[in-house]
Amino acid sequence: MSSGPTPESGFISESAPDPTEPWQRVHPASPLVRGWLAVIAVAFVYGQNMLSSLVEGEDPYPAPEVVSQTPLLVPLLIGAGILLLVLLGFFGTWWFTKYQITDRHVNVNSGMIFRQQRQARIDRVQSIDIAQPLVARILGLAELRFDVADSGSSAMHLSFVKLSVARDLRTTILARAAGRPSVPAVQESESGSAARPVAEPNPEAGVATAPAAGTEERVVLRVPVARLIISMVLRPVSITLVLGIIAAAVLMSLIDGFTPFYLLPAFLGMGTALWNNLNTGYNFTAATSAEGLRLSYGLLDTRHQSVPPGRVAAIKISAPLLWRKLGWYKMSVNVAGIGGDDANDGGSRSVLLPVGTFEDVLAVLSVVLPDPGTTNPREFFAAAVNGAGTEFGFITSPARVRPLAPLAHARQGYALTTTALVARNGALHRTLAIVPHARTQGLSLKQGPLARRFEVADLYLSTIAGPVTPMVRQLDIGHGRELFLEQADRAAAARKTSDSNHWLEKGV
Amino acid sequence: MQQEPIDPQGLTWTRVSPSYTKVRLVGWGIGALLMLLVLCVPLVLRLTGVWAGFPLWLAIVAPALTLLIDLIRLMLIPRQVAAIGYAEREDDLLVRQGLMFQKVLVIPYGRMQFIDVAVGPIDRMLGLCKVKLHTAAADATAEIPGLPLAEGTRLREALTARGEARLAGL
Repeated sequence: MSSGPTPESGFISESAPDPTEPWQRVHPASPLVRGWLAVIAVAFVYGQNMLSSLVEGEDPYPAPEVVSQTPLLVPLLIGAGILLLVLLGFFGTWWFTKYQITDRHVNVNSGMIFRQQRQARIDRVQSIDIAQPLVARILGLAELRFDVADSGSSAMHLSFVKLSVARDLRTTILARAAGRPSVPAVQESESGSAARPVAEPNPEAGVATAPAAGTEERVVLRVPVARLIISMVLRPVSITLVLGIIAAAVLMSLIDGFTPFYLLPAFLGMGTALWNNLNTGYNFTAATSAEGLRLSYGLLDTRHQSVPPGRVAAIKISAPLLWRKLGWYKMSVNVAGIGGDDANDGGSRSVLLPVGTFEDVLAVLSVVLPDPGTTNPREFFAAAVNGAGTEFGFITSPARVRPLAPLAHARQGYALTTTALVARNGALHRTLAIVPHARTQGLSLKQGPLARRFEVADLYLSTIAGPVTPMVRQLDIGHGRELFLEQADRAAAARKTSDSNHWLEKGV
Repeated sequence: MQQEPIDPQGLTWTRVSPSYTKVRLVGWGIGALLMLLVLCVPLVLRLTGVWAGFPLWLAIVAPALTLLIDLIRLMLIPRQVAAIGYAEREDDLLVRQGLMFQKVLVIPYGRMQFIDVAVGPIDRMLGLCKVKLHTAAADATAEIPGLPLAEGTRLREALTARGEARLAGL
């Protein structure tokens, strides 16, 4: 989304598609990958009916009279008809889904009856994920997801193409999005592949696009599976789960007729949360490349995503109480386009590091925050994450708020670097929020009646939606008032010298 | 306008139109009336004997308490309206609101995504409008209600012009 008021500058613009670029189709198996569950469900229900009408008597669920008395031909015909309809639907969705990549736009047309044409401006593309759900992975297919600077709902999908094609497309589009001039070789390879069906292998594409954008990457960190599992065991949700199971067992032995069935929904919910944690943290690898931080992870569904440093609006480093002895941290970010809602997998996609050591944290930070704005980042962030008091320029809550925050008052505070504001919070569950001055959207100072008595106020820094809510708690009111205006000035000044569009071109 | 501890120093706040109080009063009246009507239903049922089992004290206390809270809210409305203010600085717009829970918001012009001017039915009768500034962050949305139409239009034009001059990406 643009800051300009003209409709043209929006992500989805109205201008006509470029007629010169070729339109391409997605892989023919795409509808199957998306609809396999429905197909299996239909086949299962139908097959069960068929079986029950064939094998009468042995069936534990007796079929209705009507079904068992119809001749065999009719259910067969019905089955064939359903199959034909499904295939026709699949073919139709495939036939009508086309995409086109021009120098400035990505166009995706889809829909059989309700047709949809989506056009995205390439320079507004925030990042591109390559996702592989389980079935797609088996077939060697992948989905491209375009994230735009939006609340996250209107992300564009391109599903499914062959994995190699997906990789090439991502490299090409990101190179153009970053403002690099497109290389003629890329153009040729694209128009060349357009003549052939996409399903066919395209051997030149990888070679041709290689020099266009940084395909070479350097692995920064891997999360060992053992560490992930231990970190999951030490999460409050697992402990609640274990305690819940023990409680259920005790109740069962004490109370007659108590079945743990009543607790099943709660257990299921906690189990799902843990499973998501495992699925998205498994084999977590972070690497640096020309387009920023590249993350890949997944147990059954795998995903490759990239986080361009210029798009990071806020970073959170948290140290849960039970991880602290082990020196482990978690990092999440607010990035335009991903959002914080689960509808867009925002919860898992905004995680930069599911669990890592302090070294891992620094490694990731050096990529997403290339200029921390302090001379000794290691000591500074060590103090910021674990320390308390006023070292390294931290300004904490005044001692008079001790009744309000008995444990946290010495820790909660903020420090300024030349590029960012760092807000430290929490005594048991320690968190640290980093907000670059140039990404600050607005500031608000809030004070309730209790805070007024203690002459303190909370400062909130507004950023793009996401899991990080940066705030400085219980600042001395006089100081908070000053910081409020100073930080607004700082944000305005930082913004004048940086523009996150075409972030690779410094100073544009 | 009274200087609260939370207000940054050296600013002159522009207050919104005092007739915005009337808009708030109408809103208050409709809300309070509806709530009271709903809460009086058990009382009526109890008195007519339809729902004899309902405790009488609860049927009386619930609407009475609501009425009391509504009256306190009514008395606060003029002061709440007086507490709404905005100030234009060179690079940003400040908006303040709240009596009990006070809040000051600052939005740099370069961060504005778009501006809404909304006019409700009662606003229209009184010649008022509401200006809303949106940024890429959901919580950094400045709302200035109760502006005279001319001032609202001026503000919109001025903010748009400054936003374009200080345009910044996300």
